[in-house]
Amino acid sequence: MSVVVFALVQLVPGDPIRLALGTRFDQETYDALLARSGLDQPLVQQYLTWAGRAVTGDLGVSFRSGETVTSLIAERLPATLTLALASILVALLIAVPLGTISALRPRSLVDRVATVLSQIGISVPEFWMAIVLILVFAGTLGWLPSGGYVGLTEDPAGWAQRLLLPAVVTGVVSGSVITRFVRSSVLEALGADHVRTAQAKGLPRRQVFTWHVLRNALLPLVTVTGVQLAYLLSGVVVVEIVFSWPGLGQLALQAVQARDYPVLQGAILLFAVTFLVINLVVDLLYTAIDPRIRR
Amino acid sequence: MRTNRLLPLAAAAALLLSACGGGESVDTGGGGGGSGGEGGTLVAAVAAQPDQLDPHQTTAYPSFQVLENVYDTLVVPNAEDLTMEPSLAESWETSEDGLTWTFTLREGVTFHDGSEFDSADVVYSYRRIIDEELQNSYRFATVTGVEAPDPRTVVLTLSQPTPNLLERIGAFKGMAILPENAAEDIDLVTEANGTGPFRLESSDASSTVLTAYEDHWGGAPSVGGVEFRYITEPAAALTALQNGEVQWTDNVPPQQIESLADDDSVELQTTPSVDYWYLSMNYARPPFDNRDVRRAISLAVDREAVAEAAWFGAAQANQTAIPEDSFFHLDYAPFERDVDQARQLLSQAGVQTPLTMGLMVTDEFPETVTAAQVIASQLEEIGVTVEIETLDFATWLDRQGQGDFDAFYLGWLGNLDPAAYYQEQHQTDGPNNYQGYSNPQVDQLLQQGAVETDEDARKQLYDQAAQIIVDDVSYLYLYNPDVVQAWAPGLQGYRIRADKAIDFATVELP
Repeated sequence: MSVVVFALVQLVPGDPIRLALGTRFDQETYDALLARSGLDQPLVQQYLTWAGRAVTGDLGVSFRSGETVTSLIAERLPATLTLALASILVALLIAVPLGTISALRPRSLVDRVATVLSQIGISVPEFWMAIVLILVFAGTLGWLPSGGYVGLTEDPAGWAQRLLLPAVVTGVVSGSVITRFVRSSVLEALGADHVRTAQAKGLPRRQVFTWHVLRNALLPLVTVTGVQLAYLLSGVVVVEIVFSWPGLGQLALQAVQARDYPVLQGAILLFAVTFLVINLVVDLLYTAIDPRIRR
Repeated sequence: MRTNRLLPLAAAAALLLSACGGGESVDTGGGGGGSGGEGGTLVAAVAAQPDQLDPHQTTAYPSFQVLENVYDTLVVPNAEDLTMEPSLAESWETSEDGLTWTFTLREGVTFHDGSEFDSADVVYSYRRIIDEELQNSYRFATVTGVEAPDPRTVVLTLSQPTPNLLERIGAFKGMAILPENAAEDIDLVTEANGTGPFRLESSDASSTVLTAYEDHWGGAPSVGGVEFRYITEPAAALTALQNGEVQWTDNVPPQQIESLADDDSVELQTTPSVDYWYLSMNYARPPFDNRDVRRAISLAVDREAVAEAAWFGAAQANQTAIPEDSFFHLDYAPFERDVDQARQLLSQAGVQTPLTMGLMVTDEFPETVTAAQVIASQLEEIGVTVEIETLDFATWLDRQGQGDFDAFYLGWLGNLDPAAYYQEQHQTDGPNNYQGYSNPQVDQLLQQGAVETDEDARKQLYDQAAQIIVDDVSYLYLYNPDVVQAWAPGLQGYRIRADKAIDFATVELP
């Protein structure tokens, strides 16, 4: 995997040294910086050096800022984690009730409205939604700050105020996707044989729903939530930029623009690892939810 | 996983809390802080995070916005007309032959850590730039020696008279004076120790915070500190200014400049900048090596319309490089848009129309992408089909360096001296002469200008060179954009500058 990450980054055209120096410089300056960055070494050599250090947790030093990649990532991790988890929460708060209700009354008015809403949620550009929310809630109404981030421990109220709008924007998008999965998996569970059996046994509706329908519908929900969470954890560039949210998405974007290979490699590696870990957690959750897998 | 499960709960609780408290006023973080002065903290919205804080290594404007307030240089551009005036150097003398400059340093200047400033710091700083071949070493190209005969004197010896030496060492904070051995003593990338009006408190992914340095040689600043908050999206920055979260911003949506002029909630000011934008054609790619073809294209471009498209009126069309307010401005505009004459020139040059011309622009400067479309439609009228190529800046620079382009559209920023405007771009084999222009007469004029110590004679030399450059269309000059900044009504003591230096030393909060 590390080879792929390294190669992918090197494939991007563009010379980081040239970018770092801007347009006014001497050849001597260029050569000096090239030597300092290690980019004058053969690619294989560069990879081995990088991979060797990465194993020990040393991801190198950013070309652009001169700070270590690990500290750059660590600095942005709390903001990304906060936004990702809050967004997933918003998404589930939207998706689970909406999806379940539409599944219980398929083709009813509620179902149709929910379908239209989730379609809108998926199609409206995040950028536009974010700007509109800022203009309304920070501009016209003046209830919330226009963006930024403060630590939870520093200023809990300010933290929550700043989190609300970006979490709603990303949450609505993820929620719209998840709503559809909830609806279809609940529908599917409702039609399953064991549910009909439970109903025939005369179990109360509520009990049938929570124990027989919801529990089965939970499996696909966990999967899709995991995927959405992995996506959110890799940073949501547009939302981060509009709300001045100092997350990993912005860091990765800046790294791409500056061809800051060490930061880019570090970020991609982190995203890949995050994805693997979340998949693992999802699998573990499966066994917790579904006794059949445990055996 | 247990802790992770609690986090969403905490988030939910907080969301509920904040939803209930909707009527409360927003905590802006401003007004209260600042350890030093009694004045509060000025919160400034800037477009991006500094890439690093080592003044000798960074090239990024967001870094210099901060560093302007933290470090000093020997001399500094005057806010009014950008001529050089004393800063850490109190006075200077030039020898008869122009090869020795003696600077007398200011007394009673201290660095933020309390240590005294003297000539050893200047020698260290300049030697660091020269010996480590850092970014700005080219500015010392004619400097052969940096010496400190005594603690208050610095002597620069030169290989040839250098009339723009002051501009070279004072144009911007890239030439900052660091304390001796600063690179060994502190991590200059994240820490700072300057002589400027503010000291660096902290810098993270959200903001950079400065506090007033009470012992600054020019007097303590009136505000207690400055927080540079990064707000990339212009609409968000403007909203933050309007609802009082920030008191100053230079990130104004260009399309709103006009409507903001009569908005009472915001004080908006503009001034022509020293930046210029131009179109450059590749002499190595026929038919663009033909002077008539380039002149035809220059005749077909309506610079006013291009400036309007790029900056919504916040730019002055200019057929030369140097803006109107500068001493070195040349009033010369030979190209009045004339489609017929342009067509005639093209056929005279034996060019088959439609002629296709690739035009390389970069999304690093989105306004050029829009304006390129206007250029394309103007050139269409004379039978030149423009194929716009929008590239990211890294790729763009690569192709510029390799000469792989028909034409490109870019700008030069932060120029003060005419040598910076013309020398490297138009001298034969100049380091930034990507178009491949070569005119012996221009070479000679530029060489004379570089060593001419009489201001008026020097201006004449550059005027002549500029005329030829314009006539030959080495660059097709387009416009000088305005500096656009906005602040809260009632903010005092701040001055908008043509060189885009952001100096908060004398600013007073409303």
